[in-house]
Amino acid sequence: MVNSYIAASLKEALDIRAREDVIPYGGGTDLMIKAADDVSYLFIGKIPELKQISEDNEYIRIGAACTFTEIIESPLIPPVLKAAASQIGGPAIRNLGTIGGNIANGSPKADSVLILFVTDAMLRLVSDKGERILPVKDYYLGKKKTALAGDELISEILIPRVDLSNYYYKKVGARKAQAISRVAFAGLMNITNGRITHCATAFGSVSDVIIRRDYIDAMLIGRTIEEAKACKAEYLAAFDEAIVPISGRISAEYRKSVCMNLLGDFLSENGI
Amino acid sequence: MKFILNGTEVTYTGALNASLLDVLRDEYRLTGVKCGCKEGECGACSVIMDDRLVNSCMIAMGQAADSTIISIEGYRDTDRYAVLDRAYASVGAAQCGFCIPGMILASECILAKTPHPSEEQIREGISGNLCRCTGYNAIVTAVSIAAKEGEGLW
Repeated sequence: MVNSYIAASLKEALDIRAREDVIPYGGGTDLMIKAADDVSYLFIGKIPELKQISEDNEYIRIGAACTFTEIIESPLIPPVLKAAASQIGGPAIRNLGTIGGNIANGSPKADSVLILFVTDAMLRLVSDKGERILPVKDYYLGKKKTALAGDELISEILIPRVDLSNYYYKKVGARKAQAISRVAFAGLMNITNGRITHCATAFGSVSDVIIRRDYIDAMLIGRTIEEAKACKAEYLAAFDEAIVPISGRISAEYRKSVCMNLLGDFLSENGI
Repeated sequence: MKFILNGTEVTYTGALNASLLDVLRDEYRLTGVKCGCKEGECGACSVIMDDRLVNSCMIAMGQAADSTIISIEGYRDTDRYAVLDRAYASVGAAQCGFCIPGMILASECILAKTPHPSEEQIREGISGNLCRCTGYNAIVTAVSIAAKEGEGLW
């Protein structure tokens, strides 16, 4: 029989992680679907250091073991993340599932991770040897492949506290609750004194990794609404080329057209 | 590891990877906790863990350590249950009954958070609990009735 471990502190968890071949277990809502007796879990869901939500001048800091319910209930969490978190699963799933687990699972369908992409969030990865901070886009290496080393844990998510207020979020699923995203889209736009000072978009459930193309979004930054309208076609064409959807239960053609519709709607809602 | 099950502290010495659902049913014989889908979709296995509704199929025992867990068998002894029981019965909200233990615990969690819930809040609160018989409307009505009849209990 394999050993699983319940860690009471982050230090204890990192010691075990360095020593043993374990699967970190946050909320379990992904892991338990394929529940296995022959794997060793490291239970980190109740470690106090991983349960904090705080803010400083630069970042909103979310402990990796915070559940979606805790995220929805916290006054510090930006509305764009609450919007996504509140559409995950149903209440009982949101009471268990953690944001760290959503990240570590490595799926491009992870609803909270879409928001981490659009906000250019960073992840704090810790091991018994130290820590590193990685932009979320560098964490995902490919289909179900992440940059997390065997001795590391995700400890904290850092969301920059800028340009978060004017958001657009839509999840397209087959039903209202308990739905897995077919396509999810998030956009942020800051328009100050008639000029676009920030534009960020991200597309989930479309490709092996969530799509965020900041160099395309940059086409609109610095422009007035009228100027943005003038280059709208060029902007949409760039995304049309950049989005190469995978085909599964949902066809690539469907995914592509939903992405482009949502992107167009995001622009329209901002007067572009 | 220890946890509190329906008000009594219990010591569990089995595998930490076993699901809470299996342990509650097989080891503690709490068969009011229903096994539906085993993948967090249906809510039939709902229990209340540390005051929150959870799917017991989605919990490995290691995560339940030091928790307080209430299943329908423990909840049945409360005044709140009696109110929900009457309310469900009054509108025929239970048909085959398989989803009902989970529905009742979901109803409790709705009312504990929002003693006077709107219809939308009730529907949101039971959105992770599937019922194949009733079409949900009777259940939603039952929770509204319980909120009125149980005034002051929640």
